Amino acid sequence: MTEAPILRVDALTRRFRGLVAINDLSFSVRAGSITSVIGPNGAGKSTLFNLITGYLRPSAGDVFFHEKRITGMSTDRIAAGGVARAFQIARPFRDLTVEENIRIGALFGKHGPRDVPATVSRALRLTGLQALQDEHTSALTVGQLRQLEVARAVATRADMLLADEPCAGLNPAETAHMIDVLRQVRDGGVTVLLVEHDMPAVMRVSDRIVVLDAGNKIAEGSPDEIATNPRVIAAYLGTPDPMT
Amino acid sequence: MKRPVVPLLVIVAGTVLAGLAPLVMPPFSVRLGQLVLFYGGLAVAWNILGGFAGYRSFGNTAFIGIGAFTAGLLQPYLQGLQPLAGFVAGLVAGISACMVVSGLLAYPILRLRGAFFAIATLGVAHVCAELTNNIDAFQGAMGLTFPEIVPFDWEPRIFFYELYLAAAVITLLIAWFIKNSRFGYGLLAIREDEDTARMLGVPTERFKALALVISAGLTGGFGVIFANSLGYITTNSVYRDDTSLNLIVYCLLGGVGTLFGPVIGTILLVLLIQLVLGNLLDFHLFATGLLLVVLVLVAPDGVLGVIRKWRLKRRLAALEQA
Repeated sequence: MTEAPILRVDALTRRFRGLVAINDLSFSVRAGSITSVIGPNGAGKSTLFNLITGYLRPSAGDVFFHEKRITGMSTDRIAAGGVARAFQIARPFRDLTVEENIRIGALFGKHGPRDVPATVSRALRLTGLQALQDEHTSALTVGQLRQLEVARAVATRADMLLADEPCAGLNPAETAHMIDVLRQVRDGGVTVLLVEHDMPAVMRVSDRIVVLDAGNKIAEGSPDEIATNPRVIAAYLGTPDPMT
Repeated sequence: MKRPVVPLLVIVAGTVLAGLAPLVMPPFSVRLGQLVLFYGGLAVAWNILGGFAGYRSFGNTAFIGIGAFTAGLLQPYLQGLQPLAGFVAGLVAGISACMVVSGLLAYPILRLRGAFFAIATLGVAHVCAELTNNIDAFQGAMGLTFPEIVPFDWEPRIFFYELYLAAAVITLLIAWFIKNSRFGYGLLAIREDEDTARMLGVPTERFKALALVISAGLTGGFGVIFANSLGYITTNSVYRDDTSLNLIVYCLLGGVGTLFGPVIGTILLVLLIQLVLGNLLDFHLFATGLLLVVLVLVAPDGVLGVIRKWRLKRRLAALEQA
Protein backbone atom coordinates (compact mmCIF):
# COMPACT_ATOMS: atom_id res chain seq x y z
CA MET A 1 0.00 0.00 0.00
CA THR A 2 1.39 3.43 -0.95
CA GLU A 3 1.49 6.09 1.74
CA ALA A 4 -0.74 9.09 0.95
CA PRO A 5 1.29 12.19 0.02
CA ILE A 6 1.29 15.09 2.46
CA LEU A 7 0.80 17.57 -0.40
CA ARG A 8 -0.85 16.97 -3.74
CA VAL A 9 -1.03 19.57 -6.48
CA ASP A 10 -3.64 18.57 -9.04
CA ALA A 11 -3.87 20.15 -12.51
CA LEU A 12 -3.04 23.58 -11.05
CA THR A 13 -3.22 26.52 -13.41
CA ARG A 14 -2.73 30.23 -12.74
CA ARG A 15 -3.15 32.87 -15.39
CA PHE A 16 -2.32 36.56 -15.06
CA ARG A 17 -4.44 37.92 -17.91
CA GLY A 18 -2.65 36.59 -21.00
CA LEU A 19 0.31 35.10 -19.14
CA VAL A 20 0.10 31.51 -17.94
CA ALA A 21 2.37 31.42 -14.88
CA ILE A 22 1.50 27.83 -13.89
CA ASN A 23 0.08 25.48 -16.49
CA ASP A 24 -1.79 22.29 -15.58
CA LEU A 25 0.80 21.37 -12.96
CA SER A 26 0.47 18.13 -11.01
CA PHE A 27 2.86 16.57 -8.53
CA SER A 28 2.85 15.23 -5.02
CA VAL A 29 5.18 15.46 -2.05
CA ARG A 30 5.94 12.51 0.20
CA ALA A 31 5.77 13.13 3.95
CA GLY A 32 9.15 13.45 5.62
CA SER A 33 11.03 14.30 2.43
CA ILE A 34 12.82 17.31 1.03
CA THR A 35 11.36 18.02 -2.39
CA SER A 36 12.90 20.81 -4.44
CA VAL A 37 11.24 22.84 -7.15
CA ILE A 38 13.75 24.26 -9.60
CA GLY A 39 13.56 26.21 -12.81
CA PRO A 40 14.87 29.37 -14.44
CA ASN A 41 13.61 32.80 -13.42
CA GLY A 42 9.97 33.17 -14.39
CA ALA A 43 9.34 29.43 -14.27
CA GLY A 44 6.51 29.93 -11.78
CA LYS A 45 8.16 28.71 -8.58
CA SER A 46 7.14 31.62 -6.35
CA THR A 47 3.67 31.63 -7.94
CA LEU A 48 3.40 27.97 -7.00
CA PHE A 49 4.24 28.82 -3.36
CA ASN A 50 1.69 31.65 -3.42
CA LEU A 51 -0.95 29.22 -4.70
CA ILE A 52 -0.18 26.57 -2.09
CA THR A 53 -0.28 29.09 0.77
CA GLY A 54 -3.53 30.69 -0.39
CA TYR A 55 -1.93 34.03 -1.17
CA LEU A 56 -3.14 33.60 -4.75
CA ARG A 57 -6.18 31.70 -5.97
CA PRO A 58 -5.69 29.28 -8.84
CA SER A 59 -7.45 29.81 -12.16
CA ALA A 60 -8.03 26.04 -12.25
CA GLY A 61 -6.97 22.94 -10.37
CA ASP A 62 -6.64 22.07 -6.71
CA VAL A 63 -4.20 21.76 -3.85
CA PHE A 64 -4.64 19.00 -1.28
CA PHE A 65 -2.83 18.94 2.08
CA HIS A 66 -3.14 15.72 4.08
CA GLU A 67 -5.68 14.80 1.39
CA LYS A 68 -7.86 17.74 2.43
CA ARG A 69 -8.68 20.26 -0.28
CA ILE A 70 -7.20 23.62 0.72
CA THR A 71 -7.84 25.48 -2.54
CA GLY A 72 -9.49 28.83 -1.86
CA MET A 73 -8.89 28.68 1.90
CA SER A 74 -7.51 31.83 3.52
CA THR A 75 -3.74 32.05 4.06
CA ASP A 76 -4.05 32.10 7.86
CA ARG A 77 -6.24 28.98 7.89
CA ILE A 78 -3.79 27.13 5.66
CA ALA A 79 -0.94 28.21 7.95
CA ALA A 80 -2.89 27.17 11.04
CA GLY A 81 -3.49 23.84 9.31
CA GLY A 82 0.25 23.14 9.20
CA VAL A 83 1.84 24.86 6.18
CA ALA A 84 4.61 27.35 7.02
CA ARG A 85 6.58 29.53 4.66
CA ALA A 86 10.02 31.11 4.82
CA PHE A 87 10.20 34.01 2.39
CA GLN A 88 12.72 34.57 -0.40
CA ILE A 89 13.44 38.08 0.90
CA ALA A 90 13.59 37.92 4.68
CA ARG A 91 10.60 39.68 6.18
CA PRO A 92 11.31 39.95 9.90
CA PHE A 93 9.08 42.01 12.17
CA ARG A 94 11.54 44.89 12.29
CA ASP A 95 10.53 46.47 15.58
CA LEU A 96 10.72 43.22 17.52
CA THR A 97 13.54 41.11 18.92
CA VAL A 98 14.59 37.76 17.47
CA GLU A 99 12.83 35.96 20.32
CA GLU A 100 9.62 37.94 19.84
CA ASN A 101 9.64 37.20 16.10
CA ILE A 102 9.87 33.48 16.80
CA ARG A 103 7.35 33.68 19.64
CA ILE A 104 4.71 35.00 17.23
CA GLY A 105 5.29 31.92 15.10
CA ALA A 106 4.90 29.71 18.16
CA LEU A 107 1.75 31.47 19.39
CA PHE A 108 -0.08 30.84 16.15
CA GLY A 109 0.43 28.04 13.65
CA LYS A 110 -0.84 24.51 13.99
CA HIS A 111 -1.17 23.77 17.68
CA GLY A 112 -1.94 27.23 19.01
CA PRO A 113 -0.27 28.71 22.09
CA ARG A 114 0.97 25.52 23.75
CA ASP A 115 4.53 24.99 25.01
CA VAL A 116 5.53 28.36 23.58
CA PRO A 117 8.82 28.82 25.53
CA ALA A 118 9.98 25.28 24.69
CA THR A 119 9.06 25.73 21.03
CA VAL A 120 10.91 29.05 20.83
CA SER A 121 13.95 27.48 22.50
CA ARG A 122 13.97 24.59 20.02
CA ALA A 123 13.74 26.96 17.04
CA LEU A 124 16.55 29.13 18.42
CA ARG A 125 18.74 26.08 19.01
CA LEU A 126 18.02 24.64 15.58
CA THR A 127 19.07 27.79 13.77
CA GLY A 128 21.89 28.77 16.12
CA LEU A 129 20.31 32.09 17.04
CA GLN A 130 20.29 31.61 20.84
CA ALA A 131 22.96 34.23 21.46
CA LEU A 132 20.98 36.79 19.46
CA GLN A 133 17.54 36.15 20.92
CA ASP A 134 17.29 39.53 22.66
CA GLU A 135 18.63 41.53 19.72
CA HIS A 136 16.48 43.55 17.39
CA THR A 137 16.44 42.26 13.84
CA SER A 138 18.33 45.34 12.65
CA ALA A 139 21.42 43.85 14.31
CA LEU A 140 21.31 40.67 12.19
CA THR A 141 23.29 39.79 9.07
CA VAL A 142 21.60 38.53 5.89
CA GLY A 143 22.47 34.96 6.83
CA GLN A 144 21.04 35.37 10.31
CA LEU A 145 17.87 36.93 8.91
CA ARG A 146 17.43 33.87 6.68
CA GLN A 147 17.86 31.63 9.71
CA LEU A 148 15.28 33.73 11.53
CA GLU A 149 12.83 33.18 8.65
CA VAL A 150 13.27 29.42 9.03
CA ALA A 151 13.14 29.58 12.85
CA ARG A 152 9.89 31.55 12.82
CA ALA A 153 8.31 29.19 10.31
CA VAL A 154 9.46 26.08 12.18
CA ALA A 155 8.12 27.55 15.44
CA THR A 156 4.60 27.29 14.02
CA ARG A 157 5.07 23.50 14.40
CA ALA A 158 3.95 23.07 10.84
CA ASP A 159 3.91 19.68 9.13
CA MET A 160 5.37 21.25 6.00
CA LEU A 161 7.87 24.04 5.44
CA LEU A 162 7.91 25.95 2.17
CA ALA A 163 11.38 27.45 1.92
CA ASP A 164 11.71 30.03 -0.84
CA GLU A 165 15.35 30.39 -1.88
CA PRO A 166 16.78 30.19 1.66
CA CYS A 167 20.37 30.10 0.36
CA ALA A 168 20.14 33.13 -1.96
CA GLY A 169 22.88 35.63 -1.19
CA LEU A 170 24.57 33.44 1.43
CA ASN A 171 28.28 32.65 1.48
CA PRO A 172 29.40 28.99 1.28
CA ALA A 173 29.61 28.58 5.07
CA GLU A 174 26.16 30.08 5.59
CA THR A 175 24.77 27.92 2.76
CA ALA A 176 26.20 24.79 4.37
CA HIS A 177 24.64 25.79 7.68
CA MET A 178 21.28 26.39 6.01
CA ILE A 179 21.38 22.99 4.31
CA ASP A 180 22.21 21.38 7.63
CA VAL A 181 19.26 23.21 9.25
CA LEU A 182 16.88 22.06 6.48
CA ARG A 183 18.04 18.48 6.95
CA GLN A 184 17.45 18.73 10.68
CA VAL A 185 13.99 20.14 10.00
CA ARG A 186 13.23 17.14 7.80
CA ASP A 187 14.72 14.70 10.32
CA GLY A 188 12.45 16.27 12.92
CA GLY A 189 9.45 15.08 10.91
CA VAL A 190 8.70 18.24 8.92
CA THR A 191 8.35 17.87 5.17
CA VAL A 192 10.29 20.50 3.23
CA LEU A 193 9.32 21.93 -0.15
CA LEU A 194 12.28 23.93 -1.34
CA VAL A 195 12.69 26.48 -4.10
CA GLU A 196 16.38 27.15 -4.70
CA HIS A 197 18.72 28.32 -7.43
CA ASP A 198 21.90 27.01 -5.80
CA MET A 199 22.16 23.74 -7.76
CA PRO A 200 24.92 22.05 -5.73
CA ALA A 201 22.85 22.76 -2.60
CA VAL A 202 19.69 21.39 -4.22
CA MET A 203 21.45 18.23 -5.34
CA ARG A 204 22.93 17.68 -1.88
CA VAL A 205 19.78 18.15 0.13
CA SER A 206 16.88 16.95 -2.05
CA ASP A 207 15.15 13.59 -1.96
CA ARG A 208 13.17 14.49 -5.07
CA ILE A 209 13.16 17.33 -7.58
CA VAL A 210 10.42 18.86 -9.72
CA VAL A 211 11.60 21.00 -12.64
CA LEU A 212 9.48 23.83 -14.02
CA ASP A 213 9.97 25.81 -17.18
CA ALA A 214 7.59 28.63 -18.15
CA GLY A 215 4.92 27.26 -15.81
CA ASN A 216 5.11 23.67 -17.14
CA LYS A 217 6.55 20.65 -15.39
CA ILE A 218 9.29 19.31 -17.62
CA ALA A 219 10.77 16.70 -15.30
CA GLU A 220 10.41 15.04 -11.91
CA GLY A 221 12.67 12.55 -10.21
CA SER A 222 15.62 11.90 -7.93
CA PRO A 223 18.61 14.28 -8.05
CA ASP A 224 20.55 11.75 -10.18
CA GLU A 225 17.70 11.40 -12.66
CA ILE A 226 17.30 15.17 -12.93
CA ALA A 227 21.04 15.71 -13.40
CA THR A 228 21.04 13.50 -16.45
CA ASN A 229 17.67 14.47 -17.92
CA PRO A 230 18.26 15.99 -21.39
CA ARG A 231 15.18 18.28 -21.20
CA VAL A 232 16.36 19.73 -17.91
CA ILE A 233 19.85 20.21 -19.22
CA ALA A 234 18.53 21.94 -22.32
CA ALA A 235 16.04 24.14 -20.52
CA TYR A 236 17.84 25.05 -17.36
CA LEU A 237 21.16 23.56 -16.43
CA GLY A 238 22.76 24.27 -19.76
CA THR A 239 25.84 22.03 -19.41
CA PRO A 240 26.12 18.24 -19.53
CA ASP A 241 27.78 18.05 -16.13
CA PRO A 242 26.59 20.96 -14.02
CA MET A 243 27.08 19.32 -10.64
CA THR A 244 30.80 19.53 -10.56
CA MET B 1 0.99 33.50 29.07
CA LYS B 2 3.47 35.14 31.46
CA ARG B 3 2.70 38.84 31.82
CA PRO B 4 5.11 41.50 33.11
CA VAL B 5 3.88 42.76 36.46
CA VAL B 6 5.85 46.03 36.59
CA PRO B 7 3.40 47.89 34.32
CA LEU B 8 0.55 46.57 36.48
CA LEU B 9 2.22 47.90 39.63
CA VAL B 10 2.72 51.27 37.90
CA ILE B 11 -1.00 51.32 37.00
CA VAL B 12 -2.05 50.46 40.58
CA ALA B 13 0.29 53.04 42.15
CA GLY B 14 -0.76 55.69 39.62
CA THR B 15 -4.44 54.95 40.30
CA VAL B 16 -4.03 55.36 44.06
CA LEU B 17 -2.10 58.61 43.66
CA ALA B 18 -4.47 60.04 41.05
CA GLY B 19 -7.51 58.93 43.05
CA LEU B 20 -6.38 60.79 46.15
CA ALA B 21 -5.05 63.84 44.31
CA PRO B 22 -8.35 65.83 44.22
CA LEU B 23 -8.21 66.02 48.05
CA VAL B 24 -5.29 68.41 47.77
CA MET B 25 -5.70 69.83 44.26
CA PRO B 26 -7.19 73.28 43.58
CA PRO B 27 -10.41 73.30 41.48
CA PHE B 28 -8.66 74.32 38.25
CA SER B 29 -6.21 71.43 38.59
CA VAL B 30 -9.07 68.98 39.14
CA ARG B 31 -10.64 70.21 35.90
CA LEU B 32 -7.26 69.82 34.19
CA GLY B 33 -7.04 66.32 35.67
CA GLN B 34 -10.44 65.51 34.14
CA LEU B 35 -9.13 66.53 30.73
CA VAL B 36 -5.97 64.45 31.11
CA LEU B 37 -7.96 61.38 32.19
CA PHE B 38 -10.59 61.84 29.47
CA TYR B 39 -8.12 62.32 26.64
CA GLY B 40 -5.61 59.86 28.13
CA GLY B 41 -8.25 57.13 28.28
CA LEU B 42 -9.39 57.92 24.73
CA ALA B 43 -5.78 57.84 23.51
CA VAL B 44 -5.19 54.44 25.13
CA ALA B 45 -8.40 53.16 23.47
CA TRP B 46 -7.26 54.60 20.10
CA ASN B 47 -3.86 52.95 20.60
CA ILE B 48 -5.41 49.45 20.72
CA LEU B 49 -6.18 49.64 17.01
CA GLY B 50 -3.95 52.53 15.92
CA GLY B 51 -0.86 51.61 17.90
CA PHE B 52 -0.95 47.87 18.51
CA ALA B 53 -2.33 46.95 15.07
CA GLY B 54 -1.08 49.99 13.11
CA TYR B 55 -4.51 50.97 11.78
CA ARG B 56 -4.56 54.70 12.52
CA SER B 57 -8.07 56.06 12.73
CA PHE B 58 -8.76 59.73 12.10
CA GLY B 59 -12.39 59.36 13.12
CA ASN B 60 -12.57 58.02 16.68
CA THR B 61 -14.78 60.97 17.51
CA ALA B 62 -17.54 59.02 15.74
CA PHE B 63 -17.69 56.64 18.68
CA ILE B 64 -17.67 59.43 21.26
CA GLY B 65 -20.72 60.79 19.44
CA ILE B 66 -22.49 57.45 18.99
CA GLY B 67 -21.96 56.59 22.67
CA ALA B 68 -23.13 60.00 23.87
CA PHE B 69 -26.19 60.18 21.64
CA THR B 70 -27.24 56.58 22.34
CA ALA B 71 -27.20 57.30 26.09
CA GLY B 72 -28.94 60.65 25.54
CA LEU B 73 -31.73 59.22 23.39
CA LEU B 74 -32.30 56.53 26.01
CA GLN B 75 -32.80 59.02 28.86
CA PRO B 76 -36.59 59.54 28.44
CA TYR B 77 -37.08 55.79 28.88
CA LEU B 78 -35.01 55.66 32.08
CA GLN B 79 -36.85 58.22 34.16
CA GLY B 80 -38.18 55.66 36.63
CA LEU B 81 -34.64 54.64 37.59
CA GLN B 82 -32.28 56.20 40.11
CA PRO B 83 -30.08 58.73 38.24
CA LEU B 84 -26.95 56.66 38.78
CA ALA B 85 -28.71 53.50 37.56
CA GLY B 86 -29.89 55.46 34.53
CA PHE B 87 -26.28 56.48 33.88
CA VAL B 88 -25.14 52.85 34.04
CA ALA B 89 -27.92 51.81 31.64
CA GLY B 90 -26.90 54.60 29.27
CA LEU B 91 -23.26 53.55 29.58
CA VAL B 92 -24.07 49.94 28.68
CA ALA B 93 -26.26 51.07 25.77
CA GLY B 94 -23.65 53.55 24.49
CA ILE B 95 -20.82 51.02 24.62
CA SER B 96 -23.02 48.36 22.98
CA ALA B 97 -24.09 50.71 20.17
CA CYS B 98 -20.44 51.56 19.42
CA MET B 99 -19.48 47.90 19.38
CA VAL B 100 -22.33 47.01 17.03
CA VAL B 101 -21.66 49.93 14.65
CA SER B 102 -17.90 49.27 14.60
CA GLY B 103 -18.56 45.56 14.08
CA LEU B 104 -20.64 46.41 11.02
CA LEU B 105 -18.01 48.84 9.75
CA ALA B 106 -15.12 46.45 10.34
CA TYR B 107 -15.47 44.43 7.16
CA PRO B 108 -15.51 47.30 4.65
CA ILE B 109 -13.08 49.72 6.30
CA LEU B 110 -10.48 47.27 7.57
CA ARG B 111 -9.87 46.10 4.02
CA LEU B 112 -8.20 49.48 3.53
CA ARG B 113 -4.72 50.31 4.77
CA GLY B 114 -2.68 53.40 5.59
CA ALA B 115 -3.97 56.70 4.26
CA PHE B 116 -7.04 55.06 2.72
CA PHE B 117 -8.08 53.67 6.10
CA ALA B 118 -7.46 57.05 7.75
CA ILE B 119 -9.63 58.83 5.18
CA ALA B 120 -12.37 56.21 5.50
CA THR B 121 -12.52 56.64 9.29
CA LEU B 122 -12.63 60.42 8.91
CA GLY B 123 -15.50 59.93 6.48
CA VAL B 124 -17.35 57.69 8.93
CA ALA B 125 -17.09 60.35 11.63
CA HIS B 126 -18.42 63.03 9.28
CA VAL B 127 -21.29 60.83 8.06
CA CYS B 128 -22.27 60.06 11.66
CA ALA B 129 -22.18 63.76 12.55
CA GLU B 130 -24.27 64.71 9.53
CA LEU B 131 -26.83 61.99 10.21
CA THR B 132 -27.11 63.06 13.84
CA ASN B 133 -27.51 66.67 12.82
CA ASN B 134 -30.02 66.19 10.02
CA ILE B 135 -32.26 63.34 11.13
CA ASP B 136 -34.83 64.71 13.55
CA ALA B 137 -35.03 61.52 15.59
CA PHE B 138 -31.40 61.96 16.71
CA GLN B 139 -32.00 65.55 17.88
CA GLY B 140 -28.40 66.48 17.13
CA ALA B 141 -29.18 70.06 16.15
CA MET B 142 -31.54 70.74 19.06
CA GLY B 143 -29.44 68.88 21.58
CA LEU B 144 -30.09 66.36 24.34
CA THR B 145 -30.08 66.93 28.09
CA PHE B 146 -28.83 64.56 30.75
CA PRO B 147 -30.10 64.42 34.34
CA GLU B 148 -27.92 65.21 37.34
CA ILE B 149 -26.25 61.92 38.37
CA VAL B 150 -23.85 63.04 41.10
CA PRO B 151 -24.72 61.05 44.25
CA PHE B 152 -24.67 62.18 47.88
CA ASP B 153 -22.89 65.44 48.54
CA TRP B 154 -20.06 64.89 46.07
CA GLU B 155 -18.77 67.87 44.23
CA PRO B 156 -19.62 67.25 40.55
CA ARG B 157 -16.08 68.25 39.58
CA ILE B 158 -14.55 65.57 41.81
CA PHE B 159 -17.22 62.97 41.00
CA PHE B 160 -16.55 63.20 37.26
CA TYR B 161 -12.80 63.27 37.89
CA GLU B 162 -13.08 59.94 39.72
CA LEU B 163 -15.42 58.57 37.03
CA TYR B 164 -12.92 59.47 34.28
CA LEU B 165 -10.16 57.95 36.40
CA ALA B 166 -12.07 54.67 36.75
CA ALA B 167 -12.73 54.56 33.00
CA ALA B 168 -9.11 55.40 32.16
CA VAL B 169 -7.76 52.75 34.52
CA ILE B 170 -10.12 50.08 33.14
CA THR B 171 -9.05 51.06 29.61
CA LEU B 172 -5.38 50.89 30.57
CA LEU B 173 -5.84 47.48 32.23
CA ILE B 174 -7.59 46.16 29.12
CA ALA B 175 -4.74 47.53 26.97
CA TRP B 176 -2.17 45.92 29.30
CA PHE B 177 -3.99 42.59 29.11
CA ILE B 178 -4.24 42.79 25.30
CA LYS B 179 -0.61 43.82 24.85
CA ASN B 180 0.62 40.77 26.72
CA SER B 181 -1.81 38.28 25.23
CA ARG B 182 -1.74 36.10 22.12
CA PHE B 183 -4.23 38.56 20.64
CA GLY B 184 -1.79 41.40 21.35
CA TYR B 185 1.07 39.58 19.65
CA GLY B 186 -1.21 38.97 16.68
CA LEU B 187 -1.96 42.70 16.47
CA LEU B 188 1.76 43.43 16.69
CA ALA B 189 2.43 41.06 13.81
CA ILE B 190 -0.32 42.75 11.78
CA ARG B 191 1.25 46.15 12.42
CA GLU B 192 4.72 44.95 11.43
CA ASP B 193 3.76 43.04 8.27
CA GLU B 194 0.18 41.92 7.73
CA ASP B 195 0.96 39.48 4.91
CA THR B 196 3.68 37.75 6.93
CA ALA B 197 1.37 37.64 9.95
CA ARG B 198 -1.21 35.83 7.85
CA MET B 199 1.43 33.37 6.63
CA LEU B 200 2.20 32.54 10.27
CA GLY B 201 -1.43 31.73 10.98
CA VAL B 202 -2.56 35.02 12.55
CA PRO B 203 -6.29 35.40 11.78
CA THR B 204 -5.74 38.98 10.68
CA GLU B 205 -9.30 39.88 9.67
CA ARG B 206 -10.79 38.62 12.94
CA PHE B 207 -8.11 40.24 15.10
CA LYS B 208 -8.40 43.63 13.37
CA ALA B 209 -12.18 43.59 13.71
CA LEU B 210 -11.93 42.66 17.39
CA ALA B 211 -9.41 45.45 18.04
CA LEU B 212 -11.71 47.95 16.32
CA VAL B 213 -14.75 46.79 18.31
CA ILE B 214 -12.89 46.96 21.65
CA SER B 215 -11.41 50.38 20.82
CA ALA B 216 -14.81 51.70 19.71
CA GLY B 217 -16.62 50.32 22.77
CA LEU B 218 -14.14 51.93 25.18
CA THR B 219 -14.32 55.22 23.25
CA GLY B 220 -18.10 55.10 23.42
CA GLY B 221 -17.92 54.65 27.19
CA PHE B 222 -15.90 57.85 27.48
CA GLY B 223 -18.46 59.55 25.24
CA VAL B 224 -21.25 58.67 27.68
CA ILE B 225 -19.30 59.97 30.68
CA PHE B 226 -18.39 63.11 28.74
CA ALA B 227 -22.05 63.73 27.82
CA ASN B 228 -23.15 63.31 31.43
CA SER B 229 -20.43 65.66 32.64
CA LEU B 230 -21.60 68.32 30.17
CA GLY B 231 -25.29 67.78 30.98
CA TYR B 232 -26.30 68.93 27.49
CA ILE B 233 -24.89 67.83 24.13
CA THR B 234 -25.31 68.77 20.49
CA THR B 235 -23.68 67.28 17.40
CA ASN B 236 -20.96 69.89 17.51
CA SER B 237 -20.03 69.22 21.12
CA VAL B 238 -19.30 65.51 20.69
CA TYR B 239 -18.36 65.02 17.03
CA ARG B 240 -15.17 67.07 16.94
CA ASP B 241 -12.40 66.53 14.40
CA ASP B 242 -9.89 68.19 16.71
CA THR B 243 -10.54 65.45 19.31
CA SER B 244 -9.65 62.74 16.76
CA LEU B 245 -6.55 64.68 15.75
CA ASN B 246 -5.49 65.26 19.36
CA LEU B 247 -5.65 61.54 20.17
CA ILE B 248 -3.18 60.81 17.36
CA VAL B 249 -0.87 63.59 18.50
CA TYR B 250 -0.92 62.34 22.11
CA CYS B 251 0.02 58.82 20.99
CA LEU B 252 2.71 60.06 18.59
CA LEU B 253 4.21 62.27 21.27
CA GLY B 254 4.31 59.57 23.95
CA GLY B 255 5.01 56.56 21.75
CA VAL B 256 2.55 54.84 19.45
CA GLY B 257 2.02 51.16 20.21
CA THR B 258 3.45 51.34 23.72
CA LEU B 259 1.31 50.88 26.83
CA PHE B 260 2.11 54.14 28.59
CA GLY B 261 3.02 56.26 25.57
CA PRO B 262 -0.52 57.59 25.04
CA VAL B 263 -0.75 58.53 28.74
CA ILE B 264 2.63 60.28 28.74
CA GLY B 265 1.79 62.11 25.50
CA THR B 266 -1.58 63.22 26.86
CA ILE B 267 -0.15 64.54 30.11
CA LEU B 268 2.58 66.47 28.27
CA LEU B 269 0.35 67.92 25.58
CA VAL B 270 -2.78 68.69 27.61
CA LEU B 271 -0.66 70.58 30.11
CA LEU B 272 1.19 72.33 27.27
CA ILE B 273 -2.03 73.28 25.48
CA GLN B 274 -3.91 74.34 28.60
CA LEU B 275 -1.09 76.21 30.25
CA VAL B 276 0.79 77.63 27.24
CA LEU B 277 -0.93 77.21 23.87
CA GLY B 278 -4.37 77.97 25.37
CA ASN B 279 -3.34 81.62 25.31
CA LEU B 280 -3.13 81.38 21.51
CA LEU B 281 -6.94 81.08 21.36
CA ASP B 282 -8.03 80.10 17.84
CA PHE B 283 -4.46 79.44 16.80
CA HIS B 284 -4.04 76.52 19.21
CA LEU B 285 -5.43 74.07 16.62
CA PHE B 286 -2.88 75.35 14.13
CA ALA B 287 -0.18 74.96 16.77
CA THR B 288 -1.33 71.38 17.47
CA GLY B 289 -1.20 70.54 13.76
CA LEU B 290 2.25 72.05 13.45
CA LEU B 291 3.40 70.01 16.43
CA LEU B 292 2.10 66.86 14.69
CA VAL B 293 4.17 67.62 11.59
CA VAL B 294 7.29 68.30 13.63
CA LEU B 295 6.76 65.12 15.65
CA VAL B 296 6.42 62.91 12.59
CA LEU B 297 9.62 64.38 11.16
CA VAL B 298 11.77 64.50 14.28
CA ALA B 299 10.57 61.73 16.58
CA PRO B 300 8.10 59.45 14.78
CA ASP B 301 8.18 56.93 17.61
CA GLY B 302 7.54 59.47 20.36
CA VAL B 303 9.24 59.97 23.73
CA LEU B 304 9.39 56.26 24.54
CA GLY B 305 10.56 55.53 20.99
CA VAL B 306 13.46 57.96 21.35
CA ILE B 307 14.49 56.27 24.61
CA ARG B 308 14.22 52.80 23.02
CA LYS B 309 16.28 53.84 19.99
CA TRP B 310 18.94 55.34 22.21
CA ARG B 311 19.18 52.06 24.16
CA LEU B 312 19.25 50.06 20.91
CA LYS B 313 22.09 52.21 19.57
CA ARG B 314 24.06 51.57 22.74
CA ARG B 315 23.54 47.82 22.39
CA LEU B 316 24.58 47.90 18.73
CA ALA B 317 27.70 49.89 19.62
CA ALA B 318 28.54 47.37 22.33
CA LEU B 319 28.03 44.48 19.86
CA GLU B 320 30.30 46.15 17.30
CA GLN B 321 33.01 46.65 19.91
CA ALA B 322 32.73 43.00 20.94
